[in-house]
Amino acid sequence: MFSLKPIFSLFLLLATINCIAAPMTFKDSTMTMVEGTNDFKRFELSHAITGLESIGLRFFNIQDKQLKVDGSGLFYLNRLKRINTINSQTNLWFYLELGNIDNRRSKNRQAYLSPTFQLDFETKRIYSSLSHQILRGPHENFDRTQIKSGFSFYETSYEETQPWFIFEVMNMNSLNNNTALIPTLRLVNKTLFFEAGISTKGDPKLHLMYTF
Amino acid sequence: MKKFIGMFLLFFSLNSFAATQKIEVLGMVCAYCAQGIEKSLKSLSEVNDVYINLEKFFVLVESKNDFGIDEKKLKSIIVDAGYTIQKIENFNETIKSVRNKYEK
Repeated sequence: MFSLKPIFSLFLLLATINCIAAPMTFKDSTMTMVEGTNDFKRFELSHAITGLESIGLRFFNIQDKQLKVDGSGLFYLNRLKRINTINSQTNLWFYLELGNIDNRRSKNRQAYLSPTFQLDFETKRIYSSLSHQILRGPHENFDRTQIKSGFSFYETSYEETQPWFIFEVMNMNSLNNNTALIPTLRLVNKTLFFEAGISTKGDPKLHLMYTF
Repeated sequence: MKKFIGMFLLFFSLNSFAATQKIEVLGMVCAYCAQGIEKSLKSLSEVNDVYINLEKFFVLVESKNDFGIDEKKLKSIIVDAGYTIQKIENFNETIKSVRNKYEK
């Protein structure tokens, strides 16, 4: 059985990095994602089965002073609603993940279920999103709320890479109102999506997506 | 005879240009999202070239034939990529000339 502190670390780590970037582009596309910090590595592969739905596999590894954890899960993503205007798009996403966490130190294994809702709004110069994630396991019960907001430094054409500054605020509702702040530089190209940030703990965070 | 063949070939080449269609698309605010439109359109065998302009929110499709791409196909691709079509119309310029105009 996990003690509370490692469990807290685990879910804080997961929640800090496990922000949805809405990994779905267009029907029949396949997307890979790698993400990592000092303590956390994640690899993800997903396929858009329709213009609205995507399914995928996720593998992750967490290794710090308290934890040595391998995890894997299946996820389903659905774009419930999109509103398009000339200069903006607004999306409502539903994301459901079912997986298993294997703690190699305590030899403990447990399943988890994690639904998330995300609302985002984007123009060519402004991005903002609000998401709420629920994490449920046999002995665990955590909620996470995340707000991301930022701007692009300048407008670019379709062929150019666009730089953004995104500021992220994340709160774990059920754990002492722990809040993380993550300023991030985002570069968006037509096939690549790259983010680099530093959390308030000083941990670097990298995030790369590529669509085939 | 050579003159006649030459004139025939000239006439044929002048009259076999590709058709260009312009699609005005709502919600096209980011290149990473809009790439789906380009990839899906380019996968059609009858498409010669595709041009996307985020600033003016339009997509140009140049066909290999001179009568264009079926509008139903175009609509299906744009909607499956998550966007809304405002208008589809025939366009009198080639993608090459439009590219030169906007991307100097």
